[in-house]
Amino acid sequence: MFLEVKNVVKSFQQEQVVKDLSFGLEAHKTLSILGKSGCGKTTMLKILGGLVKPDSGHILLNGNLIDEQSPSDRHIVYLYQEDLLFPHLTIFENIAFGLRLKKMPREEVNAKVENMVHSLELEGQETKMPHQLSGGQRQRVSFGRAIITNPSLLLLDEPFGSLDTGTRQRMQELFKKLAAEFRITSLFVTHDLKEAILMGDEIAYMRSGQLTVYPDKEGFIRDPATGVQDEIAFWGELLPGSSNPL
Amino acid sequence: MRVNWKPFVLTLVVLLTLFPFVYLVLLSLASQWRFPALLPGYFGLDNWRTIWASEVGLVSSFLLSTLISLSVATVSTLSGFLISRSVAYHPRKRLLTLFTYFPYLLAPVVLAACLSYFFLKLGLFGNVTGVIVAQFMITFPYSLIFFSSFWSERTKSFEELVFTLGGTRRQAFVKVLLPLARGMLLICFFQTFLISWFEYGLTSIIGVGKVQTLTIKVFLFIKEANFYYGALSCCLLIFPPVVLLYLNKKYVFNKLV
Amino acid sequence: MKNRRLHIGLLLFVLIGVLPFVSAFVYAVLYSVGLAGVVNDGFTLRFWAAVWNSGEFLRSFGYSAGIAGISVVVSVSAAMWLTLQFKRELQHRWLSFVIYLPLAIPGVVAAFFMVQLFAKSGLFSRFAYHLGWIAEAREFPDLINDPYALGIMLAFITIVTPFFVLLFLNVYQNERVAELTELAESLGANKKQVLWRVTLPILLRKTWTLIGLYFIFLLGSYEVPLILGQESPQMLSVLIIREIKQYDLSKISEGYVVAVIYTIFVSLAAVLLFYRKKSTTDAG
Repeated sequence: MFLEVKNVVKSFQQEQVVKDLSFGLEAHKTLSILGKSGCGKTTMLKILGGLVKPDSGHILLNGNLIDEQSPSDRHIVYLYQEDLLFPHLTIFENIAFGLRLKKMPREEVNAKVENMVHSLELEGQETKMPHQLSGGQRQRVSFGRAIITNPSLLLLDEPFGSLDTGTRQRMQELFKKLAAEFRITSLFVTHDLKEAILMGDEIAYMRSGQLTVYPDKEGFIRDPATGVQDEIAFWGELLPGSSNPL
Repeated sequence: MRVNWKPFVLTLVVLLTLFPFVYLVLLSLASQWRFPALLPGYFGLDNWRTIWASEVGLVSSFLLSTLISLSVATVSTLSGFLISRSVAYHPRKRLLTLFTYFPYLLAPVVLAACLSYFFLKLGLFGNVTGVIVAQFMITFPYSLIFFSSFWSERTKSFEELVFTLGGTRRQAFVKVLLPLARGMLLICFFQTFLISWFEYGLTSIIGVGKVQTLTIKVFLFIKEANFYYGALSCCLLIFPPVVLLYLNKKYVFNKLV
Repeated sequence: MKNRRLHIGLLLFVLIGVLPFVSAFVYAVLYSVGLAGVVNDGFTLRFWAAVWNSGEFLRSFGYSAGIAGISVVVSVSAAMWLTLQFKRELQHRWLSFVIYLPLAIPGVVAAFFMVQLFAKSGLFSRFAYHLGWIAEAREFPDLINDPYALGIMLAFITIVTPFFVLLFLNVYQNERVAELTELAESLGANKKQVLWRVTLPILLRKTWTLIGLYFIFLLGSYEVPLILGQESPQMLSVLIIREIKQYDLSKISEGYVVAVIYTIFVSLAAVLLFYRKKSTTDAG
């Protein structure tokens, strides 16, 4: 396993937000995690990213224990639902930000960013400022800024939550393309049933601090807790199958 | 037909606003203006020429005021920016902020009177350092309160983002926090500069007449009934802020509410 | 590491932000009960009794509160009227700079300016003379250093009104009052109803903490009443400084009594304003 999480627990005051969290993920795979708001998803991601310290438990990345590593040494990028583009930097500089932190030579930065701009289908936008872009474009820049640093693991916290349906669909496709192109390992948190099934190589369901990982998509669909059965029943009632003369 | 009164009132408002500036400039150019004459006996640049003379001391007061206000504004803006972070991210943030409101609301002159014993003991009485320290004590709470709105969840997220992208604390500060706060730093610098530039009571008590800033000079001239020099020092007092206002007017008010 | 930084910040906060205020207050309390000061020799409440019996403090407090209250009410009303009448004109490029100009005028200058205009030998007195209303300077009415504090209030109003105009203009835009006005009108409100049920409540709700702050600032203001005030009663800061800084050493302690009472009042006001502010931001 590339990522291994073992018995992680986190409480705020009296409330246990993350309960005995254990799961693993192979390299270059995406695990999508379905959960309602307030189920502990964000806390779990922040623990992985090193932004929140767990009460107990261990995290291994590529066989190495990373519990004591600071966020900047983990090579795990956490992406918020908001795009959080730096308002004082151009699109180009936003994407280049992580590379500049590493003091990479100028030519190399230019080449990498141009390549990334192309992959993000953002040609011609490089010199614009963030506020001149649409919501979908901004989210793409945010992805590019993270992926270009070649992170070991990408943590996505409802990245498409604030986008309209059409844009959301296009972004899902683009992300799948990028994930394949850059061989990304990621956790993809969403509260949208369809998105969870669409984006994940594997699927998990999180409820009040506990995570269930399903061995395959059928398992996920069959479990009544995930809500897939309700969804099927709903559409089934609208179009009562074979008895409908349509 | 109804007469539209609005243009007249508006013109009047504008004239009233500009009147003090024009009147003070004219008065600074006048002398020998005895009651009940409507026009002064002399009108020209004489007063302005004499301020270069050392015995009036206006040039040195101007430079002294500039030095004091620049120091106070720089120190309080930077320290307020850095220290407000500790306050804003503290779990008892509300209580701590309340503590900042006490010195902020208290009349500076009363604070100075009650602190003068300590300033005397510390050797800060009647010298420039003492006045800078005292003024810093009233601009610091302002600066703290001013920056408390900057340290939001969003700002915290920006910081964390830099960390997960591999940045250090220093990089987060220099490359993201400072640029994000640029506009606010500028306004805070301007406002604390003004507080210091306009300060009279506290300066008169801690400076005991030995530190003669411009406001102290205006007072002296009023006491001596030397209104022409008084007007002249008023001009020196109000025109630098006018220039600063012109330069960054677009920033000054956006953050006030 | 992270915690240490925050702790250093907190330490500095206490050192610079809290300690001076607390020391000043403690020193004033000690002085007022005879435990500090060169001529004092032990705990006594006679200074407090003296201040209480003379009634000067209460007169000064009432006088200050009256002046500050009237000035704030007049300024806020005038600023509100100007804002609502001229909100569009004041956005104009040139005018939008002119309305910032008064911010460059400090209390000292405003007071000086009032003297120039309203003193017995001031500009208006000269006009009155040439119009034949008065025959000599002393016939001109007392408008500064006068018993009704007209000069002080006029100076305060001159300084504070422009500030509130800027504030109201800002809130008017940020709170989208123009859109809400249209909405209210489409719901059948007439002009008066819009004013009293939409515009004024929104503008005042967002700004009343600052209005309260300005009342407290004016209550404690020093240089304007020092120049334009009369001998008695005096505004609080002037009274406190007069007593603390005078040569009659036995009076100093009484000055500190007034300073202590004033400080307590301001602190209570801070608590009140601060906690109300919190509850309004929570609701909004």
